[in-house]
Amino acid sequence: MVSREEIEHVAKLMRIEIDDPTIYEIVDKMIGYFDILDSAGVESEDISVREIPISDLREDKYTPFDEKLIEKLNHYKGTYVRAPKMI
Amino acid sequence: MSIKISALQYIQEVKSGNLSAEDFVAKTMEQIQKVDGKLHAFLSLNDNAVDQAREIDKKIKSGGKIGQCFGMPISIKDNICIKDTKTTCASKMLENFIAPYDATVITKLKQQDAIFVGKVNLDEFAMGLSTEFSAYGPSKNPWNTDYVPGGSSGGSAVSVSAFECVASLGSDTGGSVRNPASFCSTVGYKPTYGLISRYGLISYANSIEQIGPLTRTVEDAAFMLNLISGQDSNDNTTVDNKNEDYLKDIDSGIEGKKIGIIKEMLGEGIDPSVLSATKDAISKLEGLGATCEEISLDMVKYSVAAYYTITATEAGSNLARYDNLRYGYDFSVEGYEFNSYIEKARKKLGPEVTRRMILGGFVPSAGHAGKYFLKALKVKSKLTRQVNEAFEKFDLLISPTVPILPFRIGEKINDPAALFLIDINTVTANLTGKPAISIPYSISNGLPIGMQLIANSMNDKLLLQAAYALEKTVKLPEVPI
Repeated sequence: MVSREEIEHVAKLMRIEIDDPTIYEIVDKMIGYFDILDSAGVESEDISVREIPISDLREDKYTPFDEKLIEKLNHYKGTYVRAPKMI
Repeated sequence: MSIKISALQYIQEVKSGNLSAEDFVAKTMEQIQKVDGKLHAFLSLNDNAVDQAREIDKKIKSGGKIGQCFGMPISIKDNICIKDTKTTCASKMLENFIAPYDATVITKLKQQDAIFVGKVNLDEFAMGLSTEFSAYGPSKNPWNTDYVPGGSSGGSAVSVSAFECVASLGSDTGGSVRNPASFCSTVGYKPTYGLISRYGLISYANSIEQIGPLTRTVEDAAFMLNLISGQDSNDNTTVDNKNEDYLKDIDSGIEGKKIGIIKEMLGEGIDPSVLSATKDAISKLEGLGATCEEISLDMVKYSVAAYYTITATEAGSNLARYDNLRYGYDFSVEGYEFNSYIEKARKKLGPEVTRRMILGGFVPSAGHAGKYFLKALKVKSKLTRQVNEAFEKFDLLISPTVPILPFRIGEKINDPAALFLIDINTVTANLTGKPAISIPYSISNGLPIGMQLIANSMNDKLLLQAAYALEKTVKLPEVPI
């Protein structure tokens, strides 16, 4: 069971304003389903990670990207991207 | 001239001069005009498709160098970037997003003279399995328009099934190519992780998703794989497949091959008609000289929970970029505080995406990661080990692609637990990085059933050979559109 407060807290961190009241119930149901992981008996299991040796990575060399991506932004002014105030 | 032909047949006909690309593409566009009002596979159309086909015909006539597609009309899932065209991910957030570059798969298909007839529908940001979560409305199953076509690459499957293109590209994070392929009776291929570049595929859950073709035949899937697979310096997860020719020797047969029947994928909740189709497929494979034996992979039971935990976590991070500063831009930053501005922008995300972002914030967070995210990663590790062990004994694994038949639009939309169970047979291939295919197998009460085969990593060629052998045992009715 995940409380309304917990969901609201996470939503705030994710910068999501909840205006759909059904969200609490559905998110709670989804997380409730994940409880099945408790019975998987995998506590002692190692987490395998995909390793790519540095030698397999592409050369660490600057390759220009010829598309002027940043100029496609509407809030682009000079060499800056405009963002809302952070206070 | 019929548009109801496979990709390889199309190429043969154009090559031999019996068919012009222009006529075929024009007929295909007519078919879209005729049926798409009812099916809603497409989100946008390429108005220049017929002109582009005419140019290809000219090139053929003048003896110029022609790519292997010969102007073949292809549809593209709307989460794959085609330069200078809209790529919406079926989201209001990207309603006006014009892709600034081509995905690697698009570059490769352009080089081969493919024609993109349009971009096709999906669940918003590929999160779903019915296209009901598209912000632009669901696609309909051509076999019965009251039913879902599956998803998330529903538009891809519908467009192939209803002859609105010859082939399509979708993406498969937990079954999103195979599920709609099964529901619409097309072939759907999810390659070994890393076989196809994801550069230009809008990210959802990078660690497990792959682009894959949806086609009318297994041979066509092999042909498409030949064109779009291979290492790409823009995607460090790609692997070198040494230019493997997946079409060559596709008719090698499966005599002497050992096939494991995954017990956990034939259990609780399976539709009786799906179960009997699977038993029938097994006996057909045995008739072709394979030996089939049951195998238990007990981690499958936990795979869907692990899958949703991992994908939500990656989605929570990937979708953080949608803040209206770089995408959206429909209201000014003036007069807003930072957080409230982004909160307002994110209201354009649909309900399922919003829920999964919240899940994606919750399951890896301090205090919860141990119970959810880390445990999910451990299930993924153990499942991978179990599947690898299975491949020491077996060449292939089999299950139905989806345990149930296509369901009615609206029937399960508010029932996440019911939707979760639909993914049970497909997520294992994603979590373990293995290649898997859905092959149209039978029709029950007018609704399609697909059969899934899974092979070990980089055994894509063997998988396609087996799928081809199984496909040859099947004769299905034509789609009733």
